[in-house]
Amino acid sequence: MKTAILHKAGTPWLIAKRLAAVPLVLLGLSTMVFIAMRLLPGSPATSLAAGGASGNSSAAEITENAEKINAALGLDKSLPEQYFSFLGDLLTLDLGTSFYGGNSITALLGEALPATIELTVAAMLIAVLIGMLTGIVAALRKDTWIDTTTRAIGTVSFSLPWFALGVLSIVIFGVWLRWLPVIGRLPNELDYQPFTNFVLLDAIFQDRPELILPWLEHLLLPAVTLALSMAGFITRIVRASVLEVLGDDFVRTARMKGLSGGTILRRHVLRNSSLPIVTVLGLQFGSLLGGSVITETVFSYPGVGNLLINGILQRDYPIVQGAALAIALLFTLVNVVVDLLYLALDPRLRKA
Amino acid sequence: MSEALLEIRGLTVGFDVPGGRLPAVAGIDLTLGKGEILALVGESGSGKSALSMSLVGLNRGPRTHIGGEVLFGGRDLVGAGEKELREVRGKDIAVVFQDALAALNPTQRVGDQVAEMIRTHRRISKRNASKRAEELLGEVGIANPGQAARAYPHQLSGGMRQRVMIAIGLANDPAVLIADEPTTALDVTIQAQVLRLLKRLQRDHGTTIVLITHDLGVVAEVADRVAVMYAGRIIEQGTRDEVLFDPQHPYTMGLLSSVPRVDGPAVSRLPAIAGSPLTGVARPDGCAFAPRCTFVHEACQKQTPPLQRRYAGEAHLDACVLDEAGRARARGALEEVAQ
Repeated sequence: MKTAILHKAGTPWLIAKRLAAVPLVLLGLSTMVFIAMRLLPGSPATSLAAGGASGNSSAAEITENAEKINAALGLDKSLPEQYFSFLGDLLTLDLGTSFYGGNSITALLGEALPATIELTVAAMLIAVLIGMLTGIVAALRKDTWIDTTTRAIGTVSFSLPWFALGVLSIVIFGVWLRWLPVIGRLPNELDYQPFTNFVLLDAIFQDRPELILPWLEHLLLPAVTLALSMAGFITRIVRASVLEVLGDDFVRTARMKGLSGGTILRRHVLRNSSLPIVTVLGLQFGSLLGGSVITETVFSYPGVGNLLINGILQRDYPIVQGAALAIALLFTLVNVVVDLLYLALDPRLRKA
Repeated sequence: MSEALLEIRGLTVGFDVPGGRLPAVAGIDLTLGKGEILALVGESGSGKSALSMSLVGLNRGPRTHIGGEVLFGGRDLVGAGEKELREVRGKDIAVVFQDALAALNPTQRVGDQVAEMIRTHRRISKRNASKRAEELLGEVGIANPGQAARAYPHQLSGGMRQRVMIAIGLANDPAVLIADEPTTALDVTIQAQVLRLLKRLQRDHGTTIVLITHDLGVVAEVADRVAVMYAGRIIEQGTRDEVLFDPQHPYTMGLLSSVPRVDGPAVSRLPAIAGSPLTGVARPDGCAFAPRCTFVHEACQKQTPPLQRRYAGEAHLDACVLDEAGRARARGALEEVAQ
């Protein structure tokens, strides 16, 4: 019975290894963003100086002001000095303050990150729901018109760029039909006192159920925009992996047992075909975050993506660094969760 | 042969393939007696798996065409609907598949896989089904059934996995157990153990076993009766001793002479049957073995010889038009080759 020893001891070790890699990834990423921002033409000082002089100032004045600003922001120091002070602050979880408003980056992210999480998680749920359903149906009705149509729609939605889909849905549902709001996260006239900044949680904690409906209305269009292309992709993956598992020997064993088609699908096929699906979900979450940057901009949705774009346009280094870090952290954590799901789903991977 | 349990009449199985319909089973009549072990022997592609899978419709699908009748318990399983068939599957007729690693669900504990078989056909609590599953694992010779029940298939050895597969097959004490090459993936000592286990089950439970194999050693060890298949048809059928010691069909003779013998002279090269079996869609008239047969003559190509009693014992059937003298010559010639 030596072979039957369960390999549970390996699992916590695997998780620990996976989590230990997270700080390294974040360090590498923040270094890259730090360098990339400083390689971009233009500097925060010249943007600020030119903006502050309301267009009347001479080139000499701008240069003079820029030098003062550089000194004030600490940008006159050498790059290594700037880098190490940035890293030092990072260790104490101090992300600095915005060059423009002087707001603390942590506070800005505290508002923007929950909004982005809401958006991406909603998009993910919609995409998984649509993708799984259509993928399973397509696989079970392989080579019929249902299969062909589903795959065609999936391919089209997969190929639609987010900005096109976003603008299209704004025009149709917001402007023509006027069914849904197209800007922001909540109506301005609504009195919302954020606590966790997750509207759903706040609505529960503060006992304000009237927040939920307008929140969902605002969330729907950007989330669906974001979800559609991912759903098309999931459809294809689900169809392929369900078909593959349907051909596996253990499915024949399940039929031999006298199980019904539905039971076989639920108990034997789905769990085994979920492995490639979960992998793809983790990877796709990255492109979902990329898409959320565009979608948030199109819908003026106050998330990290919006913050990031404005930060880049204004050369607001701390904001860009903070926002990139937040996005990277989210992506890495989601993939840690994916790895854990993997272990939960496939006992064969639990050996260390 | 004892009382008939299952009767196959004119069974045909065709698979749609590019270029036509492949006749995997080309018309078979066969009766399974209660409590016997019938060995279905043949090369890969001879139709033995297609035959046995179609008994419970496991190869049903849009590209499969099953014809004829399989009479069991007063109903025809070929004509039965999927729902009706589900009641038979796993309860009255169960299958032990080859390659248990692939045939077991990799993400489910083996105890649960056995218990699932029980719960599909019996009203029994989860806990009792699990208990019964452990008992079954013990019954098929797994030393530590409690621990094995909690293991996943990949954590068990090949022999243990095959025993799990057999435990699943036995879970509802079926009348017929189809064992599809149950020992192919195992090494020789484990093979012998699994065969002894099957034999014991037949004795203790009176289970009828259809043993699909291409290994004549396996046949010699456990079978009561043998049916030799070639190109979708049974070409010889009889008791184990009749077929092994008094083969009537040149194909059976060829098969037997290609088995190395411990008591025979040492040979550098085993005799083999020249050519390869028909695998295509087109099946010319006449005996399917004729193109490979050393003793072929005109009559072989006219029409497919029916399976019937010719020159041997009462229940010993063959499908060869050779007369008695021809058969003796054939036997002599093959023995010469073997020496």
